Amino acid sequence: MRTAAIGGVVLLALAASAMELAGANPLLGFYALLRGALGGPHQIAETLVQTTSLLFPSLAVALAFRAGFFNIGAEGQLVIGGLLAGLLGARLHLPGIAGLPLVLSAGALGGALWGGIAGALRARFGGNEVVATLMLNVIAALLANYLVVGPLHSPGAVGPETAELAPSLWLPTIAPGTRLTVAMPLGLLVAAGVALLLSHTVFGYELRASGANPQAARRAGIDQQWIALAAMLLSGGIAGLGGATIVTGVLHRFNVALSPGYGFIAIAVALVGELDPLRVVFAAFAFGILQSGSLTMQALAHVPKDVVTVIEGLIILALSARRFAPSAGRLRADERTG
Amino acid sequence: MNVPGRAALELRAVRKVYPGNVCALDGVDIELVPGEIHALCGENGAGKTTLVEIAAGELRPTSGSVHAIGNVGLVHQHFELIGRLHVWENVVLGFEPRRGVRLDAEAARARVRALSQSYGLELDPDALVEDLPVGIAQRVELVRELARDPAVLIFDEPTAVLAPAEIASFFATVRALAARGAAVLIVTHKLGEIVAYAERATVLRAGKVVARFGKGQIELDAIARAMVGGEIPALAERVVTALGMGLVARDLEAGQGAHALRSASFEVRRGEILAIAGVEGNGQSVLADAIAGVVPSVGSLELEGTPLQGGARERIARGVRTIPGDRQREGLIVSWSLVENAVLGDQDRPPVRKGIAIDRVAAGRRAREIVERFDVRTTSIRTTVATLSGGNQQKLVVGRALAGAPRLLLAYQPTRGIDVGAAALVQSSLIAARNAGAAVLLISFELDEILALADRIAVIYRGMLSATMLRDAFDRGTIGALMAGAQRAS
Repeated sequence: MRTAAIGGVVLLALAASAMELAGANPLLGFYALLRGALGGPHQIAETLVQTTSLLFPSLAVALAFRAGFFNIGAEGQLVIGGLLAGLLGARLHLPGIAGLPLVLSAGALGGALWGGIAGALRARFGGNEVVATLMLNVIAALLANYLVVGPLHSPGAVGPETAELAPSLWLPTIAPGTRLTVAMPLGLLVAAGVALLLSHTVFGYELRASGANPQAARRAGIDQQWIALAAMLLSGGIAGLGGATIVTGVLHRFNVALSPGYGFIAIAVALVGELDPLRVVFAAFAFGILQSGSLTMQALAHVPKDVVTVIEGLIILALSARRFAPSAGRLRADERTG
Repeated sequence: MNVPGRAALELRAVRKVYPGNVCALDGVDIELVPGEIHALCGENGAGKTTLVEIAAGELRPTSGSVHAIGNVGLVHQHFELIGRLHVWENVVLGFEPRRGVRLDAEAARARVRALSQSYGLELDPDALVEDLPVGIAQRVELVRELARDPAVLIFDEPTAVLAPAEIASFFATVRALAARGAAVLIVTHKLGEIVAYAERATVLRAGKVVARFGKGQIELDAIARAMVGGEIPALAERVVTALGMGLVARDLEAGQGAHALRSASFEVRRGEILAIAGVEGNGQSVLADAIAGVVPSVGSLELEGTPLQGGARERIARGVRTIPGDRQREGLIVSWSLVENAVLGDQDRPPVRKGIAIDRVAAGRRAREIVERFDVRTTSIRTTVATLSGGNQQKLVVGRALAGAPRLLLAYQPTRGIDVGAAALVQSSLIAARNAGAAVLLISFELDEILALADRIAVIYRGMLSATMLRDAFDRGTIGALMAGAQRAS
C-alpha cells in the first residue's frame, strides 16, 4: 500500500517533468487533463466512451494472462472483430433487434478466430505466443486495410473504411446527445461474466491453475493445450466484441484507424487492475481519463497529447519494476536445507 | 600449522536477523577444534545453512563475532562447479596460475595432480565435470577447497547424493583430512552418520543451540529428541492385509538421456508398500511420471487388471494419486488458498464439480477434513499456501492424495525437507493407506525410510530395476551394493 502511494507520487513527478520538458506548465497540464476528462457531463460521457473501448481488450488481456498466455495481440483481435462487424453491418439491412446481435457476434467471432490462431499455434506446436500475437497484430492491420480498400471496397467509401451502417444497426445511446451507448453496460456485464467464470467454474479454476503453476496443473490432469486454445478463443472473442462495439457504437462504420492502440494500452490497464476483472474496470476508467483528457490538455495547456503516451509508458515501467524487483522481506537460505 | 587444542574457528554470540524481522540465528556459540569431526544437526529452518554461510564468510552476521585461523572451505550441497569445464579448470578457478597474461594450464594440471595425490583423492584433471558421477564431482569440489589450504572444512549435507558405499569412502577421506589437522564441520540430518563418524555434535533448533554432545556422548535418540524438542511419534502399526491385484508394469521405458527409465517390470499389490531404493538421478522421477501419466512411456501398465492409459486426468479418475517430489513446483499452487489447493486434481469430478461450477462448500469441507486429519497448522483454510511451513505444505499434499481413497498411491520422496515430526506423520499415513488396501509405490533416496516402510524393495540403478526383495530378507549391505551398481549375485 505504501509502495503504491510512493509509486504514485513518483509517477506524478515524472509526468510533471515530462510536461515541463515539453515546455508547458505541469499544473496547468494536469488541470486541463482533468477538466477535459471530467469537466462536465459531456466530458464525462466521452471519458466513459474511452473507458468502454479500453475495457473490452483489457478484459481480454487479463483473461489470457490469467491462463499464463501472454496475449499481446488484443489490438489485432479488436481490429479483426471490428472489420468483420463493419463488413457485415455495411451489407445488412435488418431491424436492430435481429441485426445488432448478428453484427456483434460477427465481431466476437472474428476476434476469437484471430486469437484462436495464436492459441492453436501454441497448443499444437508450442509456439511462443508473444511473437505470434505481435505478428498477428501487423497482419490484422494490413489485412483490414487491403480488404476495405481492395476486394471488399464499399461503393461510396472514400478512405480505408466501409460504408456507413444503417442507423438500425447503431448501438442505442444511453445518454442523449453523447456517444455513450449500451456498449458500456455490455462491457460491465462481460467483466462480471469473466469474474464469475474465473472464480466459480471448473473451467476458470483450470485456467487459473494453468497460469499460476503449469507443472502442478499438468499433474492435476488439466489439459493445458485445450486451456490455451479455449482461453485465446475467449480472449480474442472479447477483444473482437470490443471492436464491434466501436464500429456499431462510435464510428458507425469500420475504419482502419478505429483503434488508437486500445489493444496495447489494454496490457497496462490489465496489469494495473492486477488481472482482476472487477479492478480492471476501475483501471480502464483511469486510463479512459488520460485518453479523453489528452486533447484538452494539448489545446488548453499546450502540452503535446503524446505526453499521455509517456505517462502510460511510465506506468508500464513502474509495474514491470515491481514485478521483477526482489520482494522485500523474503526469506532466503534457510528455505533450502536449513 | 594449527596449534592443537585451540579452536580453528570460533563463533561467539552470533545472531542473524533477515529482513522482515526473521531471526534465523539467536546467540549461537560454536567452536571447531583441529583434528575433529563436528556434526551440526537440526530440523529444516533451524538455521543450519545460515550458520554455515556465516562461518564460511559468505554471509555477515547481524551481531556477534567470527574468528578463524586460516581459510574456511565450504563444500556446497549443490555443487558449484561448471560442467562444461575440465576438472583442472574448475579446481583453479579464481586463482589460476599464470604465465604472463596467459593461463598456465600445465602448472594447473600439475597442481591438481599433486593435490589429489597428497590427499589420496583420485582425479583425472582432464575429465569434463559434466561427465562425472556425483561422488567424483563432490571430490572435485573438495579438491578445489583443499587447494586453498583451509584450516576449516565445512560440508553441507555431503551425503545426500551418495550411495552407501560412496558414503563410507567419503567419511574415510574426511577422517584423513581431520587427522592431518583440519577442523571439519558436517551439516547433516542423517543421525546414523553422526553417531558413526562425528566426535562432537551440536544441535540447533529455531536458531538456538539446544544441545551439545562431546566425545563419547553422542547418542542417536538423544540427538533426535533435541532436534524435535520432544519425543518422536511412533509409526503406525502395519496390519496383515489381504493382498490384491494392483499395478503391474512390464518392460516400462520412458524418458531419454542419463536419467531415463530403461527397463522396469514390477508389481505393486493392493495392501502393500513397494519401495524403490536408489540414488537420485537413476530414473526414479521418470518412472513416477510415467505411471502418473505425465510423461509418455512404452511397455505395459495395468491397474487392477485393466490397462492404465491416457494422461493424468484419466489416471486420476482410475484412483491413481501422487505425492510429487517437489511440492511447491509440482504439487501446490502456493499463491492459492488451502481450499483451492485441497481440490486440485479433483476439480473435474463430484463432489467438487457441480455442473460447470466448482462447489465451494464441498471444497471447503475437503480442506477442513485434510487440515484436521493431517494436523496441518494454519491460521485459516482461506490463507495462501505460501504462508505454511514446508512440513505443513507437505501434509496438505499428502492429505489431498489420501482424501480420495486412492487405489494406487505414488509417493516420491514424501518426507523430503520436512521435520522429523511431520515426517513421522507422513510415513504413518503411507502405512495407513497400505492397511486400508491401497497399492503404495514409495520412491525414496533414504534407505532408512525405505527399510522402515517397505513390504518389498526393488533397487533402481541407471534406469534398470532389480528384482524385488521381501521384507524378511532386507539386507542393508545388499541394497547398498545394488544402489551403487553392483550386479545382483544369485
